[in-house]
Amino acid sequence: MTGSSQTSGPDATSARAAAVSVGVDARSRGWLGSQTSRRLAFGYLLLAPASAYVLLLVGVPFLFSLYLAVSDANVGDPVANFVGLANFRAAWEMETFWIALRNSVTFLVVAAVFKSLLGTSLAFLLLQEFKGKKLVRALVVIPFTLPVAVSVLSWKWMYDSQFSVINWALHRVGLIGGYGSESWPIWLGQPHLALLACIGVNVWRTFPFTAIVLLAGFTSVPTEVLDAARVDGCSFFQRFRHVVTPMIFPILIIGFLFDTVFTLSDLSVVYLLTAGGPGNATQILPVLAYQIGIQAGSLGRGAAIALMLVPLLFPALLVMLRNLKRRDW
Amino acid sequence: MGDSHLVQARHTSVSRRRFLKVAGGSVAGGSLLTMLDARQAPAQIKGTSLRILTWSHFIPAYDVWFDKWSAQWGEKNGVKVRVDHIPHLEIPARMAAEFAAGAGHDIILNNATILARLYYKSLIDMTDVYDGLGKKYGGWIPAAKSPIEVEGRIYGIPMYYILLPMLWRKDLFEANNLKAPDTWELARVAARTMKSKGNPCGIAFSHCNDANLNWRSLMFSFGATETDPSGDNPTIDSKEMRETLAFAKALFDEGMTPEVFSWDDASDNRFLASGIASWIHDAISAYRTTESTNPAVFKNTYVGMEPAGPGGKRVSVSAPIVFLAWKFSKNPQGAKDYLTALVDVDKEGMVASTGYNMPFLNDNAKKPMPVIGADPKLQVLQDFPKIVAFFGYPGPYTPQIQEVANLFVLPDIFTKVARGTSVDEALKWGTGEYRRIFAKHKRA
Repeated sequence: MTGSSQTSGPDATSARAAAVSVGVDARSRGWLGSQTSRRLAFGYLLLAPASAYVLLLVGVPFLFSLYLAVSDANVGDPVANFVGLANFRAAWEMETFWIALRNSVTFLVVAAVFKSLLGTSLAFLLLQEFKGKKLVRALVVIPFTLPVAVSVLSWKWMYDSQFSVINWALHRVGLIGGYGSESWPIWLGQPHLALLACIGVNVWRTFPFTAIVLLAGFTSVPTEVLDAARVDGCSFFQRFRHVVTPMIFPILIIGFLFDTVFTLSDLSVVYLLTAGGPGNATQILPVLAYQIGIQAGSLGRGAAIALMLVPLLFPALLVMLRNLKRRDW
Repeated sequence: MGDSHLVQARHTSVSRRRFLKVAGGSVAGGSLLTMLDARQAPAQIKGTSLRILTWSHFIPAYDVWFDKWSAQWGEKNGVKVRVDHIPHLEIPARMAAEFAAGAGHDIILNNATILARLYYKSLIDMTDVYDGLGKKYGGWIPAAKSPIEVEGRIYGIPMYYILLPMLWRKDLFEANNLKAPDTWELARVAARTMKSKGNPCGIAFSHCNDANLNWRSLMFSFGATETDPSGDNPTIDSKEMRETLAFAKALFDEGMTPEVFSWDDASDNRFLASGIASWIHDAISAYRTTESTNPAVFKNTYVGMEPAGPGGKRVSVSAPIVFLAWKFSKNPQGAKDYLTALVDVDKEGMVASTGYNMPFLNDNAKKPMPVIGADPKLQVLQDFPKIVAFFGYPGPYTPQIQEVANLFVLPDIFTKVARGTSVDEALKWGTGEYRRIFAKHKRA
């Protein structure tokens, strides 16, 4: 009890009543007016645009595609009926779907390997000090920044069955025979070569992104730590494996996630180079979904095929995010 | 005085509200009577606007003419006309977006991928325009209705189609004592003879529109069919189709190189222009472009009739180009008037396209046709309207056939055979794909 509460008389009573009233008001208004609530409100306010963006531009289309996938919606009919899993069953019955699924996985894995190798090498190169480094840094991002239609059409020319500059160069250095000979590669015509050619363009377009992500990671590693490892006798690869990689792991994971999503959903490269041909040798899920959903107008079946990417992406996403959480990031 | 009295009387006895009621009622009544009398909506297009989405034509001069003519038509009729050009492969996606938004262009062109049967509920019924134009110009060629007719109504106006005839090197044929490729067998013999001399032939086996068109021309000329006349059932599993596939395998082995598996729609143009090809089966743009790129090839390249199959049958599968108009268009009458006027100047368009556009109307297809009628090498094209067909032949151009074409099922059957799969096995796979696609559409 405070000193004032021990006093008696009318003044003291009214003062007590006032104090009680203020206490009740303070309790009711206290949390709302507190520093904590204001900070929380401000925090949510800052988060609101990003949340609205994710909800409207990612969540709503995703839910809409789920709705389409279980309906018989087509491009010309605004009324769609619920068909359950019929669209998914229809996809599974297609031989082309399984070819597309296999090619999508091959595309993802092979592209990831090459992008990791090339991206890491490029990032290490760009870490070095040399003349014209800024210019080189600007140049390497060109493939990533060029409009995809322009760059892919350029590659289409380079892969041309008759006028391929790649074949011409290989022929000039004596590695292959002339046009029409057995050893003259038909880049977009031979099944395995066609898929590799498509992967090659995807790698060329996006490995600068990998390099930039890695470069950001490498530059964040304190030089003292690297110096200490060097003093302790660590080789280059040991430093990379035991010092750099653990330190930049979260950046690697985020970069890998982005890259996986970009690669699996990349429609343009294959569509513009081969449209999935020859004989479905380069068919991948996004192209198949586009051909059935938009070109042939069966939105429901197209959405079902596109959603097949989710079971591919989701486990990978979950593993990576759990790994990040375990590392307290 | 009398006049002022009258004015005074009107001022006092007719309120503004009553005047508006009477005037409005008279106008509405009058319009209704006029409409009933004419059995059509009034042509009140002055002061309206019209947005047209079309493709970027392979002949740029045609686009110049088209834009100019559209602007002139707009000026003459007091309509603000805007023409947008996009690559034809982007049109299906654009149509889907406009349909979803319920807004966009009033008129949309479809090229090869004809979506009239998918969107017909949202398209303006053009039966009156189609019938009117047919009467005016001696009827439409038999194939015209196939892509745009749904349940007896017409939902688009066919503008022109693009032929893919035989383009053959007369100098090479003569040097090897070969007959002109008037039949597929003669074409095969020529390819077999000339491949070993460095002049193979070429038809794309890849996922491109040329492959969809050319292999259908071959199979239909061999007597095979794609669907029954109703269009509801696929009919590719036939003796004639087996003969076609065996022939295609031989043609590939004897007369082509594997590069045909990688071709796009322009590769055969380059193949001809390079001077290597003995023959290709392609649109005349391939021949036209050699005029500037390789004049010697241009001089020696001849345009042939569609080669006949073993039974003497000739069917030329072409890419149709039609215009559709959205129901949500705020100017449906303007759209109809514009398309009618555009068909009226069809011959001008044929000239602007340098003979590339082929007419759907019989009167415009009479000899001599503009440009091609005057060019001895191209005159043979005037005989094609009788043998033109589209996807699905002899059935109509249905959404299921559209899906078959979009997934390149038919070129894939030919690819499988060319790569060594047996005819029976490839056809079994292809028939399965056709049946599965048709069944899904039937269920829908």
